[in-house]
Amino acid sequence: MEGLTKRYGAVSALSDVAFSIQPGEILGLIGPNGAGKTTLFECLAGVLPPTSGVIFIDGQPLTARSRTRTLFYLPDAIAPWPSQTVRWALDFTVGFFEGRRDLFADVIDGFQLAPMLTSPIGTLSKGQRKRVLLAIGLLTSQPMLLADEPFDGLDLRQTREVAAILQSHARAGRTLFLSIHQISDAARLCDRFVLLSGGEVCGTGTLDGLSAVARSKGAAASNLEEVFLALT
Amino acid sequence: MWLLDKECRELLASRAWWVLLLVMGPLVGFAFISSVRSYAEASGLGGTAIGVGEAFSPLVGIWAPTFSACELAAVFLLPFVAIRVVAGDRQSGALKLELQHSMPAVARIATKGLVLLAGWVIASVPVIAAIILWRSYGGSTYVPELATVAIGHVINAALTIGIAAATASITEHPATAAILTLTATVGTWIVNFIAAVQGGLWERLASFTPTTMVSDFQHGLIRLDAVIAALTLTALGLGLAALWMRLGVPVRRRVAESIAVTVLALLVITVGTAATKSWDTSESRLNSFSKSDEKALRSIPGFLTIEVHLAPEDPRRVDLDRRVIAKLRRVRPDVNVRYQSATSIGLFEQTSAGYGEIWYDIDGKKTMSRAVTAESVLETLYSLADVSPETDSEEVFRGHPLMARPAKAATVFYVLWPALIVSAAIAVQGKR
Repeated sequence: MEGLTKRYGAVSALSDVAFSIQPGEILGLIGPNGAGKTTLFECLAGVLPPTSGVIFIDGQPLTARSRTRTLFYLPDAIAPWPSQTVRWALDFTVGFFEGRRDLFADVIDGFQLAPMLTSPIGTLSKGQRKRVLLAIGLLTSQPMLLADEPFDGLDLRQTREVAAILQSHARAGRTLFLSIHQISDAARLCDRFVLLSGGEVCGTGTLDGLSAVARSKGAAASNLEEVFLALT
Repeated sequence: MWLLDKECRELLASRAWWVLLLVMGPLVGFAFISSVRSYAEASGLGGTAIGVGEAFSPLVGIWAPTFSACELAAVFLLPFVAIRVVAGDRQSGALKLELQHSMPAVARIATKGLVLLAGWVIASVPVIAAIILWRSYGGSTYVPELATVAIGHVINAALTIGIAAATASITEHPATAAILTLTATVGTWIVNFIAAVQGGLWERLASFTPTTMVSDFQHGLIRLDAVIAALTLTALGLGLAALWMRLGVPVRRRVAESIAVTVLALLVITVGTAATKSWDTSESRLNSFSKSDEKALRSIPGFLTIEVHLAPEDPRRVDLDRRVIAKLRRVRPDVNVRYQSATSIGLFEQTSAGYGEIWYDIDGKKTMSRAVTAESVLETLYSLADVSPETDSEEVFRGHPLMARPAKAATVFYVLWPALIVSAAIAVQGKR
């Protein structure tokens, strides 16, 4: 994407954001609360109009049709279809979004959804809801999945399990773009990173690449947290 | 199909819809029982003679008041059901997921509209129970007029759904949508009120309000211009809802598109007002002169102008409008009616010279009369135009008096219907 900008009146939520995503990689969007991560995702997904900027897919400007074919966005902190059961929501995802029926059983097993299949989504805890949402995301068939805070609401064990599932889907060829505010989680999972702060991109690249940039600025950069602090 | 299934499930999960179902029984029941009692009392007085037949028409005596319960529910209950179905997706975040499907927003909102209308038809089942009960008492039913009343209320419900869908989609919060919807629906009552006081343009505007439209349907009258206006406004509401559902489109563009769609709808309505066609489906020809009078009126050559010197709230003008002018307009859409008055109630105009006069003008030939009954107005017109109507061979509607008690109605509407709805709600919730 090039020059992606989103303004709310005089306030700039995103300023001239530019970076690229490679097929099959796990790209982590790292930034503190209020950095503009959700805004960036929503502009990418087409549920929020950007003020300016262009998004390309395979060198071609993104259209509504190519967006629908290419990416699926999983927002954070939503409880879709609260009065419907988990099983219905998964069925609906496969049916309505023409998702992957072949992954149905694996996803239910992986996210341990079997005990809650008959529960209405509105009655689930935050962590349970997050697992259902991730299941919905992984059942969709678009080659790229954008997930906003995929580990929010999950405990340490669940976070590791979910990370393993996401990695296995990435290995199977799916591109994952994850917004993560817990830097340690991001460091464990992602291949490359986009550092976002105050609506601006402060750095992009692998941990090694970003560490080198941070060190060139005279900062200690032995891990992602230090790199992030040095570059933002 | 998936979306249709989802919308049906959302409707079934809506407490507002179950409340609507529950309330419709007693609401319709109370109206039906009261009207059957009143009808029986009036019938007991015994007149089936010519001239009082209208009073014993089930259309006016039973169906208009019974269906009024639907009008009440459409104004005060249905908006909440519609807002819940339309705004629910936005509130829960489901809309952000669903918008990632390539389905056009119009198809989404049309699906919601269709399901809501089906929900309304189901909620209207108590009216069918009322019809069955009425038949069981030996009451007469005339299908065309009954169908007209039912269609009128379905169109009115569709209009409410359109308005509620638009406000639910445009506003951020369902409470705001509810306030705006009620402002729009109840606000039209104010137009009717002003029309009654001011007359003129307000009167013309008021002829397109849901209240007037429903009232016409309840009298067995289908006015093409009112139907065009109601359906266009419904489409406008759903169209606006579809436009504002697209969260990814800049607000400025949505506003511009909304203005364009609204202008287009107003254009259609304006053109539609030229449609003077109407159908009187009432068994008693409630909205028409006799066939021979209609034939004679049509045969009057030239332009017909009527100048009425009566204030809008003067009961004589109300009588003249309802019993003569409305019928005359159906036969002679070219009639030009001009109202002259200095005040709205006319109380202090009574002594003014010329007040109360009604001037008839056919191509320059003029005459004046003060009578406001249909018979005298027709006589004046025939005399002025030198036309004689044929002798009326038409059978006079003598009404359908019925002295029946509303047996079993209380049990059906106050006990069985609520019990059925509560059981169904529990069964549906349990199944889910």
